[in-house]
Amino acid sequence: MAKKNAKPKLAFYWASSCGGCEITVTELGMRLIEVGELVDIVFWPAAMDFKYDDVEAMADKEIDICFFNGAIRSDENEHVAHLLRAKSKLLVAFGSCSHLGGIPGLANLFDVETLLERVYDTAPSVEEASRGTIPQEVTKMPEGEINLPLLQKRVRSLAQTVDVDYFMPGCPPVVDQVWNVFQAVLAGKLPPKGSVIGAQEKTVCDVCTRKKGDRTTRIKEFKRPHEVELDPEMCFLTQGVICMGPVTRAGCGTPCLNGNMPCRGCYGPPDGVADQGAKMVSAIAALIDTDDPAVIAHIREGIIDPAGLGYRFGLAESILSELKYRK
Amino acid sequence: MENKAPTTFADKVRAMPGGENLDLCYSCGTCVSKCLIQQKQEPEYNPRMLLKMVMLDMEKEAYQSPTTWMCSACDLCYQSCPQEIHISSIIEAVKTLATEAGYTTPLETVTVDENKCSGCGICVMVCPYEAPHLIEKMADGEMDRFSEVDAELCMGCGICVAACPMGAIARPGVSNPEIHEQIAISPLKNTPSLIVFICDWCLRADTDTALLESYPPNVRVVHIPCSGRIDPQMALLALESGIDGVLVCGCAPGECHYKRGTYVSSCKMSLMDEMMGQMRLANGHVRFVQIGTQERGRVRHEIDDMLAVLQKEAA
Repeated sequence: MAKKNAKPKLAFYWASSCGGCEITVTELGMRLIEVGELVDIVFWPAAMDFKYDDVEAMADKEIDICFFNGAIRSDENEHVAHLLRAKSKLLVAFGSCSHLGGIPGLANLFDVETLLERVYDTAPSVEEASRGTIPQEVTKMPEGEINLPLLQKRVRSLAQTVDVDYFMPGCPPVVDQVWNVFQAVLAGKLPPKGSVIGAQEKTVCDVCTRKKGDRTTRIKEFKRPHEVELDPEMCFLTQGVICMGPVTRAGCGTPCLNGNMPCRGCYGPPDGVADQGAKMVSAIAALIDTDDPAVIAHIREGIIDPAGLGYRFGLAESILSELKYRK
Repeated sequence: MENKAPTTFADKVRAMPGGENLDLCYSCGTCVSKCLIQQKQEPEYNPRMLLKMVMLDMEKEAYQSPTTWMCSACDLCYQSCPQEIHISSIIEAVKTLATEAGYTTPLETVTVDENKCSGCGICVMVCPYEAPHLIEKMADGEMDRFSEVDAELCMGCGICVAACPMGAIARPGVSNPEIHEQIAISPLKNTPSLIVFICDWCLRADTDTALLESYPPNVRVVHIPCSGRIDPQMALLALESGIDGVLVCGCAPGECHYKRGTYVSSCKMSLMDEMMGQMRLANGHVRFVQIGTQERGRVRHEIDDMLAVLQKEAA
């Protein structure tokens, strides 16, 4: 029996991720101490000494809220996702990877064999002696067997794996939004299940203060940010640099734009957009100079990696991934 | 004292950009024979008659004429006018005066939902008719930016509906929910299914238009006002629902009824094609073709060809 007025139990987990989401939590600084006084952290592999066994030993729904970052890339990721789902009352997909597949989701552009070959065989950084040695699920060594989780054939978001209560976007979620969400959770002020939290409804353009394009905006070719001297006052699109702002949810506080770099789309698409990359294409085609029939070929040449641009954080959740991996 | 301001209706039109060529027209009617609007949309549509009305100072009749409001400045007539009159400029001048006189457009035009609009300005940049513009006004205690559409300039092509990232722009008949409803069909078993998004302006021959009604249920034809109304999401959603192929038909470059729609759609479909290629998806399931107004029978060829490709793949 749970004690009355017991502190809520919190868990953090990282699946296939870079660790940036953990750092954003620690960026709470002194506020983390405040959080620590209000809750019991019962699982946080990156910061505290808990093991999977500790979680296995918990009763179902014993954790009040679990912030789960990282994509589902390996059998281990999937196992822990199911485990934490069972043990948690509320499961929050925390950060782009968990929300949409994130950067790891770009691996869906390739099959697993190609990826392993690249990483362990053909990449220039591989030492000659170990070239071609690809890790296996089971490796027999003199000291015993080494077991590694297998990579799955596709990267998935958390919601493509288990039922998720809330989604908190961002690569990583910005610290102020983390604080907002913690406060909302502790106060029990949460929107309906399935909502995106710690973000806004409209797009980055809504909060961007740069001067927008007008009827005279006509782009003949797109360039990459380092190829242009960027005007800090003007919309990036009008300067021929692709910005994901129009198809990306606001809420980040625009640190990239403030640094004079275009939005990369980490907060994911707003409600109503089914596929962020396809919508990006719809939006940027609006700017092209249609008086010049040759311009379409230029546009295509100038965008070196359209899928990487349009789906940088959302490929795993995209319709393209669904089409590729469906039976 | 000499009054230099134009006094008659005809003089007012002559004083506007392009209007100076009004009197070059000798009413041969070549423009009418080239015009797709009269053939496909409005039998009363007639540029020759409108120009005559202007010359005869028939101001009220000109303002009420469908010709004044329905010309989309595709300029197919300009290409064949023996007097090289830029007829759409004269019609635009009449429309401007009609709007000033308080007349309103009879066309279905777009509306903006401010609760969704993020003020990104994409619609402003994409519109061939300069209908949308950004305004700033107070909303929830703060200055915010919204798109506002000048209905009298809007031709209802739907290019902005496809471009709007927020789905904030609607046009009766071709808004997102209405299109999505037509996409959401169950694919047939054992037969390749195809969705054809078609801009009807590229079909001059009645036989081609009639053909589209004659296909069996595995070919679903979705009529859009312009291929620029295509959002690649529509193609992806169709494929996701189990449809095997998506064919998008637009006008040939230079013949787009809405000036730049076919270029915009060409750019979108080209980039989408590249992204699908990067994803190693089998190619040939989404196709974009540009059909010239003189290419009688081409639409049948394109549909049959795509069905054959899908059939072969299924076998």
